[in-house]
Amino acid sequence: MEKIKPLVLIVDDNSTNIDLLVDTLKNDYRLGVAKNGQKALDYTEKHLPDLILLDIMMPGADGYEVCTKLKAATRTKDIPVIFITAMTETAHKTRAFEAGALDYITKPFHTAEVKARVRTHLSLKKAREHEIYIASKIQKTLLLGKPPRDINGIQIAQLTIPSQKVDGDFYDFFKLNNQCFDLVVGDVMGKGIPAALLGAAIKSHFLRVLNELIRLTEKKEFPDPEKIISSVHSSMIDQLEDIETFVTLCYARFDMAKYLLSFVDCGHMRTIHFHADSNRCSLLRGVNMPLGFPEQEPFKQTLVSFKPGDLFVFYSDGLTEAKNQDGVLYGEKRLVDFVQKNAIIEPKELINIVRKNVVAFSQSDIFDDDLTCVLVGIEKKSTSQALLDKAKLEIKNDLTELARVRAFVRNFCEGIPDLPLDNNRINLIELAVTEVTANIIKHAYGEHTGEQIQINALLLDDKIVLQFYDWGKEFDPKSVPLPVFDGSQSGGFGLHIISHTVDEVVYSRDKKGRNCACLKIKLTRKD
Amino acid sequence: MKLSTEKIGEVTVVTVLTEVLDASNAEEFKIATAPILEKNNKVVFEISQIKFMDSSGCGTLLSFLRQLKSSNGTLKLCRVQEPVRRLFELVRIDRIIEIFDTKEEAVKAF
Repeated sequence: MEKIKPLVLIVDDNSTNIDLLVDTLKNDYRLGVAKNGQKALDYTEKHLPDLILLDIMMPGADGYEVCTKLKAATRTKDIPVIFITAMTETAHKTRAFEAGALDYITKPFHTAEVKARVRTHLSLKKAREHEIYIASKIQKTLLLGKPPRDINGIQIAQLTIPSQKVDGDFYDFFKLNNQCFDLVVGDVMGKGIPAALLGAAIKSHFLRVLNELIRLTEKKEFPDPEKIISSVHSSMIDQLEDIETFVTLCYARFDMAKYLLSFVDCGHMRTIHFHADSNRCSLLRGVNMPLGFPEQEPFKQTLVSFKPGDLFVFYSDGLTEAKNQDGVLYGEKRLVDFVQKNAIIEPKELINIVRKNVVAFSQSDIFDDDLTCVLVGIEKKSTSQALLDKAKLEIKNDLTELARVRAFVRNFCEGIPDLPLDNNRINLIELAVTEVTANIIKHAYGEHTGEQIQINALLLDDKIVLQFYDWGKEFDPKSVPLPVFDGSQSGGFGLHIISHTVDEVVYSRDKKGRNCACLKIKLTRKD
Repeated sequence: MKLSTEKIGEVTVVTVLTEVLDASNAEEFKIATAPILEKNNKVVFEISQIKFMDSSGCGTLLSFLRQLKSSNGTLKLCRVQEPVRRLFELVRIDRIIEIFDTKEEAVKAF
């Protein structure tokens, strides 16, 4: 099979120059031509040439500006640029190199020289690409472990987007028994094959240390994470110092018998812990320095208890340092907010949404750094509470439906045996459901009419649960300003009313991506 | 929406003839009341008919209050049913608008 020839873009405003370059290169390469800076940028964005020959003096955006822009964009920054120009002064050449040029050819040029330089830079580019290919192969096969499938009550999902410069992100899982496993996520400072190999070496150190320590312990207890890290560190510190690099990582042990996480964080990104019961996130930070720093204090582990429904998010800096086109970082806060809003979604689905969200944010699926993310979801225990009664109402997003919603809820409440809710309580519940429904009708679907809202009423032993589902815009209660009670404003009371009339309110998106507002009302029964 | 008005001295008493004042009819209430507020600045709303009110109803009353205050008048409420009173306490309207048990007391209080 004949190989596709490399694509070379010629950027020049002078037809004679273009003709000359085309004649020189047409036998060996596919060629594109742009006659000004903007056209060059458009062409590059569309066709991603393998190399660009760039004139400096052009009407509109000049060569320096074009080159600077190409180097600023993740997609185009690795394309070799050779300036080809009549300007021979050193200052011009220096400026070209500062703008990101790899080479500089002065006019009038010899065709043989142009051919030679183009060939050299294309082969260098190919060599770089090959290194990235090898590094990403190493990453895929050696650096990224497979999660255990059979730990009771745990769901794990993971995501990796290798960058164009593999930079040694790694993770692995060590199953200890059916209720306990360890997870290590880490990031080697540095890029390319060296970082990838070092990551692989660290992983094998972990396995070796884990084996040795388990063999040494008498009572068949598992060695503590802090002990594991200390051993790995002391066996690797010399090598790490030799090659002047360091490794950030988080080593975490999930114990499903005790619902306990013990972790050693060594300067890694703060792990997000979503708490299902309070619907909030906390950030887990350790006290240890990265591996490879000499004179370490003894490594210390931190204990965190968790509950059914909780979620842990481990990730590399590639995720939070993903940039959008204005250079704004995705950031920890955006990730935390995103996790909090979507934590109810199963890890396997959630990991896809994380990917979509960061890709949508950066408007690109190519990233400067490796991007890894591991989700560990603690399964909800099946509710031991039997569902005693259930009712369903479907309404249109029209404010005239509010009366029906109230009648539905009143009817449901009045039908509970022994009447645990008195009339005052039911009045307040009517108020709460009116506010919730009116919010959804006014905001979820914008101007669209005829859309649906589904309301479920569930009776459990000690509470009733009212769920309001819509398929519209996501609702973030934190985006609503707090109410002002001095009479100066007419709105903003809805959420205040809801939270003060029912025992619990949770806004979320469910597994199908529907919005759910869930109200819980405790029942106090007379004995 | 049906309203009935009665002039007692300088004070206009508006009796609101609806059982429900919520997001579905708050706008209608506003439109029906607008001509009354244009001509009068001392107004009592007699709301004994209203069994259910939500935040939209509260918001509408607060906007009436602001309008009347800007023309040096004010607004008072009377004969508020228990569930509505609970709502007023919740959003603290009872601290901003005077509420009376009877129409007469409300009128006298101006």
